[in-house]
Amino acid sequence: MMDFYAGRGHPDDVQDVGENTAELLERLKRAEEALETRELNFQTLVQRAEAQLAGEKRLLEMVASGYPLSDVLTELCKFVEDTAADCQCGVYLIDERGPKFRIGAAPGLPATFNDPCEGLPVTPEAGPCGVAACTKTQVIVRDFESEPLWESCSIRPLALAHGFRSQWSTPIYSRDGRVLATFGIFQRNPASPTQVQLDLIAQVTHIASIAIERALSEAALKRSEAFLAEAQHLSRIGSFAWNALTDEITWSEQLYRIFEFDPQTTVTLELIGTRVHPEDIPLLNDMIERARKAVSDFQYEHRLLMPDKSVKYLNLIAHGMRNEDGEVEYIGAVQDISRRQSSEEALGKARSELAHVARVMSLGALTASIAHEVNQPLSGIITNASTCMRMLEADPPNIDGARETVRRTIRDGHRAADVITRLRALFSRKEALTERLDLNEATREVIALSLSELQGNRIILRAELANELPLVTGDRVQLQQVILNLLRNASDAMSSVDNRPRQLLIRTKQDGNGAVRLSVQDNGVGIQPESINKLFDAFYTTKSDGMGIGLSVSRSIIETHQGSLWATPNDGPGATFSFSIPHVTDAAATPDKTARANHERAARQG
Amino acid sequence: MNARPLISVVDDDESVRESLPDLLKEFGFDAKAFSSAADFLSSDWVGRTNCLILDVAMPGMTGPDLQRELTLRRHAIPIVFITAHRDDNVRPRLIEQGAVECLFKPFTETDLLAALNTALRVS
Repeated sequence: MMDFYAGRGHPDDVQDVGENTAELLERLKRAEEALETRELNFQTLVQRAEAQLAGEKRLLEMVASGYPLSDVLTELCKFVEDTAADCQCGVYLIDERGPKFRIGAAPGLPATFNDPCEGLPVTPEAGPCGVAACTKTQVIVRDFESEPLWESCSIRPLALAHGFRSQWSTPIYSRDGRVLATFGIFQRNPASPTQVQLDLIAQVTHIASIAIERALSEAALKRSEAFLAEAQHLSRIGSFAWNALTDEITWSEQLYRIFEFDPQTTVTLELIGTRVHPEDIPLLNDMIERARKAVSDFQYEHRLLMPDKSVKYLNLIAHGMRNEDGEVEYIGAVQDISRRQSSEEALGKARSELAHVARVMSLGALTASIAHEVNQPLSGIITNASTCMRMLEADPPNIDGARETVRRTIRDGHRAADVITRLRALFSRKEALTERLDLNEATREVIALSLSELQGNRIILRAELANELPLVTGDRVQLQQVILNLLRNASDAMSSVDNRPRQLLIRTKQDGNGAVRLSVQDNGVGIQPESINKLFDAFYTTKSDGMGIGLSVSRSIIETHQGSLWATPNDGPGATFSFSIPHVTDAAATPDKTARANHERAARQG
Repeated sequence: MNARPLISVVDDDESVRESLPDLLKEFGFDAKAFSSAADFLSSDWVGRTNCLILDVAMPGMTGPDLQRELTLRRHAIPIVFITAHRDDNVRPRLIEQGAVECLFKPFTETDLLAALNTALRVS
């Protein structure tokens, strides 16, 4: 470059050239320096932006991972203090009770400054933060000393005493626009925020808003969870959710307590099975199987056998539905009814003892009363006959006396007959009601009535009721008494069965020859072949507490319905009792008539 | 003179009151029936009765009540109880309390006669 100028330049110009060159060099150097500074600034800017981004990211991560609010807000203040040098910050939460300020975080400020701030009322008189909260605007105090507006506010003397001249306060909003808190920045020199600083403030107050709202809703959730947990504890009710497809199970705290499992344990059906009373496992399996098959609501009572061998009684109610993925899910409640159960058991025992005593007593009293009533005239008959015999044997025979005793004998004979007539009248049935009825419907009613009793006896009842079963004619109540009697017999026959599930199958079907058949199959103790003919005798019973008249009465009821009742031993354990009665075959069994029969019945019941 | 022992029958049942005295007369006793303990106590047979055939369960004063009353009045009349309630616990208790016998209705004339003979031997 020098050569270029030298070659072309006039000698007189050499001095000029030299001066120009120096100037150029100087300018070049300044330009290079400026460039360097700018690069430096640029790098600083990039670095700063990166640091800011990293800081924000860290804060958001803290919020997302559920750090305590005070930790998040402390970190937030430190981040601002690091990013914008020479300042101290605080987050002032608004406590709706008051309302008053509560310090959310102010890590860079001394206690002498923080303590008086705690509990300041949220009013414009409090200072810039008060105004920011009340007017929902950002408040910039460049210099407390030169701005008369703030002369009487609470915070001014405190700020000045700690060497702060400037305070910028920004409201922190909830999503629905309420002021949750304020963000305050304090500086020792009078200052107004630059755009960069304003951007930073906007960014951190946004993060603070997310953190505070999340903390508030978590607190509300915790309160309601605590409320629920307390309610569950008090009522001994635990709740659960069960996905019938994936077997994913969620338990409430109380349910863990009822089952006495560690709350950290993952609940599985297998784990539940380890607590369920061994005798109730079939009941549980049956319940699970049914629940998987169809979305329904169900209720079960079952027992738990705890490690200390104590027994708990649970009542389970569940509601089935399909979740958003279309999977069957049950939500339910489980109540520990052990206390109720034990008092009910005591009550039930007392009641059954009382019933037994009452039955025996009434039977005994009945027998005594029948005997007394009949023995009186019998006594007269025998005495009169004895007298008559003696009178006739006398010599001469006392014919008139004998005639009188025979007259009295006949009268006493009539007296005895009258006693029997009165007894028969007393025990004769009222006239049977005859109507067309659906045996399935009658059976369902009986099942509904006896279900809890059967469940109480740990019996798994299965009903296979034939579709489109023809109607029968008869006395609904009498037939239901027979069905109930068969169910009870089956239940009693299984009461000593502990080595297999107690299964009871009730079935209806068309029997051919214009009849319908109902059968009740149990897997209980069964019947001895030699006693099968005695079963239907009155007073024959294998039960310690029965009178044995159930089956004989049942058979006579079925026979008055032109049907038959019989028992057969099963191939496996247990027995099957069945009855068959003729169904309505004529055109009278049209739905219209049925409806009328039902209507009439309803009218009678009403 | 009065060779025929006097037998009193106290029973609320009419069949017994009508039939028993005739049989007793056939046995050779003199007999009279009363429908209640009160009737018997207010009659003049109380002091003369050699044996009392007494029903256990009666409205008002029962058989055992009458037995106690007679003991109180120092009338040591042998008693044969009769009852239509066949209660095996009643018989030993009544005998323990001094009755000669307790017959369950309907009883045979043989049993009745045996009881009366025992009673009259006692008296």
